[in-house]
Amino acid sequence: MALVQTDTTVAVERGQRLQVSAHTGEIVVKTWARNAVRVQSATSDRGRVAVVTSATVVRVRTEGRHGPASIELQITAPAWMAVDLSGVYTDISVAGAGGPVAVETVQGDVDVEGGVGLVSLRSVQGSVTLRRAKGRIEVHSVNEDVEVLGGGGEIEAETVNGDITLNGVAASSLTATTVNGEVEYDGPIRDGGRYSLSSHNGDLTLTVAPGTNASVSVSTFNGEFESEFPVTLKETRKGKRFSFTIGAGSAQVTLESFQGTISLIRPGSSRAEHDDH
Amino acid sequence: MSDQWTDRLSEYLDGDLPEAEHAALEAHLAECPTCASVLNELRRVVGRARALEPRSPVHELWPGIAARIGATAALPGVEPLAGRRRPLRRLSFSLPQLAAAGIALTAISSAAAWMLHPDMPAVAVSSPSPARPSAISVGSNPTAAQSYAAAVDDLERVLAAGRGQLDTATVRVIEQNLAVIDRAIVQAQRAVLADSANLYLNSHLAETMRRKLELLRQAAALVSTMS
Repeated sequence: MALVQTDTTVAVERGQRLQVSAHTGEIVVKTWARNAVRVQSATSDRGRVAVVTSATVVRVRTEGRHGPASIELQITAPAWMAVDLSGVYTDISVAGAGGPVAVETVQGDVDVEGGVGLVSLRSVQGSVTLRRAKGRIEVHSVNEDVEVLGGGGEIEAETVNGDITLNGVAASSLTATTVNGEVEYDGPIRDGGRYSLSSHNGDLTLTVAPGTNASVSVSTFNGEFESEFPVTLKETRKGKRFSFTIGAGSAQVTLESFQGTISLIRPGSSRAEHDDH
Repeated sequence: MSDQWTDRLSEYLDGDLPEAEHAALEAHLAECPTCASVLNELRRVVGRARALEPRSPVHELWPGIAARIGATAALPGVEPLAGRRRPLRRLSFSLPQLAAAGIALTAISSAAAWMLHPDMPAVAVSSPSPARPSAISVGSNPTAAQSYAAAVDDLERVLAAGRGQLDTATVRVIEQNLAVIDRAIVQAQRAVLADSANLYLNSHLAETMRRKLELLRQAAALVSTMS
């Protein structure tokens, strides 16, 4: 089967967003300083790529002559452009995004660097990795790990059967929840912020820097609690539930693991280094 | 764990407390981490419920769904739910009902899955896991448990009817993850039975059950996308 390559460039203006859909294959988006979108593709002779522009959107669609064809798309777009990428059997990556990013795939990994504003990444069977995004961040998988590195904002991270790692992240609020996996947060706990880490089967590790002000509520059924620094329990309830205050206690921290170990560690802890993935 | 204010938190959240009691409770909250924690959990449930609010079933399906969840069915000629601006839901919980309330509200939302396959035939679905919970026994609200079970059944029927649209690997992954959640639900149910007053366990059970509905809804949406 012959491989068909295309290379198309269209001019764009601020306010337009990029919308890409590829049923099978790979979508790679990079950014440049030009106000133009370049679409390079490689596909079998059964596949076809269409680039359609309107006042508000540059739409890149792929289709096959007899059903979906596997297509590799490499797209270069202005950093300011909002991107909306979707696929089914599709790996999706973005580098250097400076606007909102939305990614959805079923069987594929998601890897995004950058993103400002609403950054929403979802995969069912693939891992989700996000680096240096800022704003409202939603990262979801079902069967794989979710990782957020650097950046910050309001963060919601969720998976069912995987770990959640937030490293070097400055979350103003955080909800991180998995059923069968570990959750780690290593970043500042801001005054007035709300942080909720939960798992059914996994361990929770929260890095607490000296000078942190937080009211911490810990709940477990069959798990354990450990801390690298002393805490004074304020309230102990029936079962393994208790709360305590660190510093002035202005942030609200909720740590819940049904049967995992809940750990508080200091930045740079040897334990964190050993546990790094 | 309870004090004189614990059972007033729901009224506080709804803004139903008289001014003097409102002020007294606020002063109490500043000093009582237990009540502050309970209040946070109530807020989380209410927040989830409100976040789910906009998902309304299509008009013709609503009467049946409404009958199940004990709500008022819209009459013919009445403005469709989806197009109506509704006030925020007001929720009052006694603490043992927390889980049931969360589940019921989630179940209401999950009815939106009916939109995906309104003409779907009733078909049997294979059990995704031997650990699948056979009965829901949380809280003191049988209507909520029934609504939850019905919502799960509805979504499982959507998935069963449309599983041919999905890749076998995707179906396998969804079923494996449903099994993971089912095992967690069973464990949480047992824990609640052993300690029914434990707010964390009730909340955790409700949250885990919500996760199952959410995954089923996601799977049903995938089926719809592939159709």
